[in-house]
Amino acid sequence: MRERQLAAVFVEMADTLVADFDAIEFLHVLADRCVSLLEVSAAGLLLTDQRGALRVVAASSEETRLLELFQLQSDEGPCLDCFHTRQPVGVADLATDGAPRWPRFSAEARRVGFASVHALPMRLRDDAIGALNLFDVRVGSLPAETLGVAQALADVATIGLLQERIIRRGATLAEQLQTALNSRILIEQAKGVIAERKHVDVGRAFALLRTAARSQNRHLSEFASEVVDGATNL
Amino acid sequence: MDSERAARIWGLVAERARGAPISPAHICAAAAAGINVDGAGLTVMVGPTRREVVHATDRVADQLEEFQLTFGQGPCMDAFDHGPVLADELEAPGYLARWPAFTPAAIGAGARAVFALPLRVGAIRLGVIDFYRARPGGLAHGGLADALAFADAATTILLDGVDGGGPELKSIWPDGQAGDPAVVHQATGMISVQLGVRVDVAFARLRAYAFAHDRRLRDVARDVVERRLRFEPDEASQDVQ
Repeated sequence: MRERQLAAVFVEMADTLVADFDAIEFLHVLADRCVSLLEVSAAGLLLTDQRGALRVVAASSEETRLLELFQLQSDEGPCLDCFHTRQPVGVADLATDGAPRWPRFSAEARRVGFASVHALPMRLRDDAIGALNLFDVRVGSLPAETLGVAQALADVATIGLLQERIIRRGATLAEQLQTALNSRILIEQAKGVIAERKHVDVGRAFALLRTAARSQNRHLSEFASEVVDGATNL
Repeated sequence: MDSERAARIWGLVAERARGAPISPAHICAAAAAGINVDGAGLTVMVGPTRREVVHATDRVADQLEEFQLTFGQGPCMDAFDHGPVLADELEAPGYLARWPAFTPAAIGAGARAVFALPLRVGAIRLGVIDFYRARPGGLAHGGLADALAFADAATTILLDGVDGGGPELKSIWPDGQAGDPAVVHQATGMISVQLGVRVDVAFARLRAYAFAHDRRLRDVARDVVERRLRFEPDEASQDVQ
């Protein structure tokens, strides 16, 4: 990857960690940047729900099939293993390395068109709060340098999430995680409302929601809440 | 694993109910016995600004709920508006500033730790479940997970009551309740527009449909999102594509 590109992304991330910070929007931007910087096909961020499951909070694409593939890993998959061990997990070839360890997940990932997967822990001291999940249509391991950057991006995601708790009067990590997950549900509900009102699919609905929130300088989840309550029309 | 915890929690609640329709009282009692807390209380939202205490396991729990409604402040209020509040040590600095009336009253009543979990599903906000303990200290990892699972159970019960659901619904632990997939929430949004109802009513209707047709919630939701199933006022109709 180009160094200038990398530097630009980190400057962008640092710029957003300021007063009017929107954690969910931040995580979406980060997922997007992972795809271009790390040269993979898709990226997703998953958080622990603190009851034993992982939940998607942001992804580089809102394609339903992709989101479901991330979410499948709540039961089995490299992401779940990564979260539990707090170590990166790399699968260079799903067909040979993935199938024996995670049969259901590997089959589904390959069906959708992916050939390799990597997962990096979102670390916080000795714990993990989730994982960064990377998919590629090509077989192969990520080079060591790329993995280093990927881990740094996962760490930035963690910092981003914690940033919001500082703003929210010192909420604990546990509180902040639950809030982030509930924000995600809000956004899913808003996608449905917009999809129905505008007669579009839920992926397009998300794009409309995000664009509208940005243009009105609103936090994504607060805006989504108003859309669902009927207080705001797009 | 998530669904194992949910099943265990549900089992504890069902034990308390002994065949009767499951109520907030059963959930509060099971939670108070199952987690490292001394008591529990549940407050529901009746409309956008009115709140009502529907159950408290003991006098202290009842007082804590009432203090918050009276003073208009406290972990319960903050949980409604923002998210979970885990106050491990009420005597720690900061809480007095945060809740100047509630904190001394709660301490006076005998509580040293209070945990408030909102009963919500995205934009659907139904109430709050509060736990207290006479000794300070956190919930610890497993305790928090169980507390969240009890809150999930309470959310289910309240949700089923939103649309006047019958007692049968209240004894069901829906498939995949340990975290509904995104498609369920998307379908909820769509149904709220199709029926012209609030999103909590929409979710209750979706669940009622799945129950009535003996289908998994996620499968019905998928039909809605992929536009094979539409909810019309008074009945749901199938569009044959």
